[in-house]
Amino acid sequence: MKELNNRSEDEAVGRARGAFGGIFSAEHKTVGLRFLWLALLSVVIGMTLSLFMRVQLSHQAGGSLTVPSTPDRYAAITLLHGSLMVFFVLTAAPQCGFGYFLIPLQIGAREMAFPRLSGVSFWMTAAALAGITASVFFTPAAGATIWLLGVVCFSIGMVLAALNLSVTVMEQRARGMTMPRLPITVWAWFLTAILSLLIFSVLSASSVLLLSDRLAGTHFFGVAPQFSVSATSIWQRWFWFFAQAEVYVAMLPCFGIVTHLLSIYSRRPVWSERLAVLALCAVGLFGFCIWGEHMFASGLNPYTPLVFAMLASSLGAPSVLLLICWFGTLWGGAIRLTTAMLFALGFVSLFLSGGLSGIFLARSEFAGSSTADALVTGHFHLVMGVAATFAILAGLFFWFPKMFGRRLNETLGKIHFWLTFAGVYVLFMTMHWLGLLDRASSVSAAAAIHGLRTFLTFVAVATISAQILFFVNFFWSLRRGEPCHAKNPWRATTLEWSVASPPPSENFRGGVPVVFRGAYELGVPLAGEDFVPQHVGPEELAKLR
Amino acid sequence: MAGTSVLDDIELIIEDIGGGGKPPAGGDGGDAGGGGRRAPGNSSARKYAIAIALGMVAILVFFMAIAAAFLVLRTSNPEWKSVPVPALLWMNTIALLCSSGTLELARKRLGAADERGFKKLWLLTTLLGIAFVAGQVVAWRQLVAAGVYGSVSQGAAFFYVFTAAHAVHLMGGICALLYVGLRKFGAAAVTRLAAAEVTSYYWHFMDALWVFLLALLFLGK
Repeated sequence: MKELNNRSEDEAVGRARGAFGGIFSAEHKTVGLRFLWLALLSVVIGMTLSLFMRVQLSHQAGGSLTVPSTPDRYAAITLLHGSLMVFFVLTAAPQCGFGYFLIPLQIGAREMAFPRLSGVSFWMTAAALAGITASVFFTPAAGATIWLLGVVCFSIGMVLAALNLSVTVMEQRARGMTMPRLPITVWAWFLTAILSLLIFSVLSASSVLLLSDRLAGTHFFGVAPQFSVSATSIWQRWFWFFAQAEVYVAMLPCFGIVTHLLSIYSRRPVWSERLAVLALCAVGLFGFCIWGEHMFASGLNPYTPLVFAMLASSLGAPSVLLLICWFGTLWGGAIRLTTAMLFALGFVSLFLSGGLSGIFLARSEFAGSSTADALVTGHFHLVMGVAATFAILAGLFFWFPKMFGRRLNETLGKIHFWLTFAGVYVLFMTMHWLGLLDRASSVSAAAAIHGLRTFLTFVAVATISAQILFFVNFFWSLRRGEPCHAKNPWRATTLEWSVASPPPSENFRGGVPVVFRGAYELGVPLAGEDFVPQHVGPEELAKLR
Repeated sequence: MAGTSVLDDIELIIEDIGGGGKPPAGGDGGDAGGGGRRAPGNSSARKYAIAIALGMVAILVFFMAIAAAFLVLRTSNPEWKSVPVPALLWMNTIALLCSSGTLELARKRLGAADERGFKKLWLLTTLLGIAFVAGQVVAWRQLVAAGVYGSVSQGAAFFYVFTAAHAVHLMGGICALLYVGLRKFGAAAVTRLAAAEVTSYYWHFMDALWVFLLALLFLGK
């Protein structure tokens, strides 16, 4: 029976290496890194597009276009910016990038449950990126169809990835790795996988029907002379049912990463770890219930906004629970302010301040009458876009030694952090103010709005320029960074730190470890250290005492 | 878990059906045998079963999203024109239902180590599945010949989308049937019996889904 089990794992590792070598390798670490590279490419394109948008916005009040553009072209650029950032940066990187690389290592598995699915999901995502990016170069009619095809491809890729990640967590855990002992990062990836399975199915359904309208001449959504009933509100419902839950697909892995890092760098266990996991579950569940908060102006039943407003406001409860867990973890800890920790703390700050505006936006009467687009844009950029990016950067600085066997430069990292932190606050808080001013009808407000738009453009250019520091740090460290031969430079407790950096292809040379305790035995004095790794057995522990 | 002390080593072991499980008291683990809650040889079969279950959930959500739109538009569009369900669809349904029966008989044969009986019944199941898809294509051609295109009405559009989406998913099931029927399982991590069981979950699900869709289209007239 042992031979059967080992044979099944050997087959999985062998299949992962692939008959065609590198390019079609389905080895989980390779696939994870590929997703991260994909996200890096997408964020560069996305930031460049945002610069075009900012230049356009700061000049349009003057009545002339200094950047060659048409309304269709501007709309295409906005769509591409949003698609790249939401799909390929915020969804692919934290869930698939880190998830594929780390889940088997953190649960004590040698490979994913279905290695071939890992490769398929990556190449479908890559194909989707190519299609969605190419769509902007076509005419609006053709471009929209190509965009939709890319979205369907991406949805199927994400469903396959979600299947793979969730079955791996359920079935591939090492002995002793019970669900309560899972690191909170794995919990977050697991819950996100379940969420993704559901929402990307809905997005696929709505995209298939829209494609059918465009390609097969059906009229699910369009208004044709023979149809008196338009299905626009159905599209809105579908889209927001997907998109609101997609926010939490983007954020849940970030919650997991940040909670994990706060614990490691404050040398304290996660405060009320079970409560944190329950809060993650609640956030995921609530995400399904509040699609209507995006439809307050769509002519819903008059009582519906009340229901959705209450549900959206209730999201504050699990969010507050998470904040309490984070602050409880930090309280009294021996905090070490590495770059990764700074980004993790920055995430907490952005989530808190960006989330506060969400409480106001959840109120239907506020959203409808008091604000223009800029406030909503500022809100979701702070609380979702930039906060999630901070979590991704925190994870990158934390796991870079494990992934590449080298360290990122801490000095450059800290300078990059402070410039970015200041820049995004100035940029998006000003955008909140702009959103309120946009509703004012006075002449002085119009002058202030124009000035603010120009100011925002300069700040955006400065903040995006500061990202050059990160790219220099990243690429230089890949080749010339300080080597990190230590298995566990951060003195962490989870299983990935029990193997070499970078890990061998089969992850655990000499046998998969057995797990004896939870993931956050920190602040425990033992043999000159203050932590007990998950895999240290009772006999070894007795020797160390 | 957080808060447990090293000395007390309070373990909160939740009876889990998946991986993990408390290590032996002697602290031995890794590849040392014995003490597992389940036979390791079954772990591969179970992961496929879980994967199929999750896949079925995703497919169900896909169809329910379209069904929800169908119901909303059906009830709110006063000019709704339904598509008369072609008589051939009932024959196709009988073929699909029979294929579920033959699949179960095939599995019983396999369980009784009757390889020949299994192969015959499995082949019959596959052929019935192919016959169903072929019958759907014929039904579409009949409707097109009668001038019922997807662009004619929302009812017709939903008919084509439901039947086409189901046929595409069923073809995935046919591929699974062919894989289980043709592959040599000697060196595989799962047995043919386990693979047949997992395939049966998906096939019966497709069967039930078709019955639901047909009821929706028939009652939605």
